[in-house]
Amino acid sequence: ASTGAMLKGIPRLFFRVHKLDPGCSFHVSSQASQSIVHLENQVPVEHPRAISRTSESDPAKHGEQHEGQHYSIPLQDLKMVFPHGLPPRFVMQVKTFGEACLMIRKPALELLHYLKNTNFAHPAVRYLLYGEKGTGKTLTLCHAIHFCAKHDWMILHIPDAHLWVKNCQELLPSTYNKQRFDQPLEASTWLKNFRTTNERFLSKIKVQEKYVWNKRESTEKGSPLGEVIEQGITRVRNATDAVGIVLKELKRQSSMGMFHLLVAVDGVNALWGRTTLKREDKSLIAPEELALVHNLRKMVKNDWEGFDDLDPFLPILISNYNPKEFESSFQYYLENSWLQHEKAPTEEGKKELLFLSNSNPGQLERLCACL
Amino acid sequence: MAASALRVAPQWSGLVLSIRRAVCRLPGLTQVRCVRYAPEFKDPLIDKNYYQKPVTELTEEEKYHQEVRTTQLIKAAPSTHTSSVFADPVISKFTNMMMKGGNKVLARSLMAQTLETLKRKQFEKYHAASVEEQANIERNPYKIFHQALKNCEPVIGLESILKGGHFYQVPVPLVDRRRRFLAMKWMITECRENKHRRTLMPEKLSHELLEAFHNRGPVIKRKHNMHKMAEANRALAHYRWW
Repeated sequence: ASTGAMLKGIPRLFFRVHKLDPGCSFHVSSQASQSIVHLENQVPVEHPRAISRTSESDPAKHGEQHEGQHYSIPLQDLKMVFPHGLPPRFVMQVKTFGEACLMIRKPALELLHYLKNTNFAHPAVRYLLYGEKGTGKTLTLCHAIHFCAKHDWMILHIPDAHLWVKNCQELLPSTYNKQRFDQPLEASTWLKNFRTTNERFLSKIKVQEKYVWNKRESTEKGSPLGEVIEQGITRVRNATDAVGIVLKELKRQSSMGMFHLLVAVDGVNALWGRTTLKREDKSLIAPEELALVHNLRKMVKNDWEGFDDLDPFLPILISNYNPKEFESSFQYYLENSWLQHEKAPTEEGKKELLFLSNSNPGQLERLCACL
Repeated sequence: MAASALRVAPQWSGLVLSIRRAVCRLPGLTQVRCVRYAPEFKDPLIDKNYYQKPVTELTEEEKYHQEVRTTQLIKAAPSTHTSSVFADPVISKFTNMMMKGGNKVLARSLMAQTLETLKRKQFEKYHAASVEEQANIERNPYKIFHQALKNCEPVIGLESILKGGHFYQVPVPLVDRRRRFLAMKWMITECRENKHRRTLMPEKLSHELLEAFHNRGPVIKRKHNMHKMAEANRALAHYRWW
């Protein structure tokens, strides 16, 4: 029996994480703030011993009462859901503490609320998480991905689109289209990680046309998607084309309602920026000429079956910590004995950390690492 | 214009003043910013508590002291002086010694990364150890750093003394600051030179600090060598005249 038998339409949602320059100004769209009707404005009360942890490990049950608290993800789940995609400093922290704790914050709660109330009959909605450097966009995205993984959605997660447009060691001319370029290494690593996350779906989804790889190998119509991925991993030369096929098939089949699909792209502005890759004659390559970027852009574009007009995206601003969240983060570090300096747990130490980091989560983490 | 600039700049004595006035009439040679302050300049006082005390709590003496300071000339505070609670003079000195070409930003970030690496290594050991051993594992990177440097300080040093046309290595007592300097210098030299080409400074430094903390490793060996040389050359001790 199919999982989403009652749901028809396009059960697919996008996320993007947009890295803004601190130089350019941005303003919170009034749409986003007005739609948060259910979240009453909680005045952050200064608790003498603020509780920084919660035992609720299911993202679906997170509500405003859990705001500012950390919930932990079991390490087994972490390996399954996030083979790639977590920020490197967070991975180090997980290794050091032996546990993966994410803070539940307002933008994440807002996003989860939208996800829970998605109407799969309507066209897919795109959400754009934006904010300054170090405010927690990637971790908010990971929170949403964890929620979707728990609810058995299919997850298409590109950990960092910037990795696909720069520092590429091998650029081959594409086998499918002479104008474009292939990136076998990036494509094959991505396919491996995609397979780890979505094992259970790969046998259920069937390919809807025949693909010929070369004279000897081809994938027949109706064979499971897992075969395409295997082909991409074993024959690294065809990895980029395998990625393109996966994206195309998922796009086509998600409207059939068999599964919910979440497309999450971190650093999505790389798809429309400049690349640092050059051809042999030292001329710059535009992003369209990379096959991976081309296919991903088609995926993200708004031309899926079922809608005619352009959907604008829903922007979600992620800002620095408010006092309650800062307190919670501070308590979390203290509980794990991460702040080893004698003066760190004192009031002056806390005030100084608040001032030095300006409540920016990334900066606070770096400061606490050497204290 | 040159005269007013001279009044602002610290001046030494009358003679120097007249020479400088003559020199400074030439536009290209006007020098206003000097590091050598005149004797009447006082050191800056950097202490949050001193300045944040409300006026009512001050004693008569302290009020007088503060009023006098408003009339005195005070040197500019160097940018390394902080009122931060996390500031440590030993760490600052070590960072300055690690600095190359005035790149304090790089030296400070290397120091921060070293402390972080130390912490992470110790946390790993802590989680892998049993409950009895956990009490013995030190996780504070500052304590490890201070103890390691203390363990590397030599007790007695060697000095090259010229006697009869030859230089002799004479054992000599060392002042505290010379000992601290030697410990830090040896640590930095060891980490810069005796490592694989591709290892980074924080990695190597954290490794050497941990070894020194446990009283083993190349820096401790160098300290012991110094002690042995001093012991071997005891006969020359009377060459020292101070």
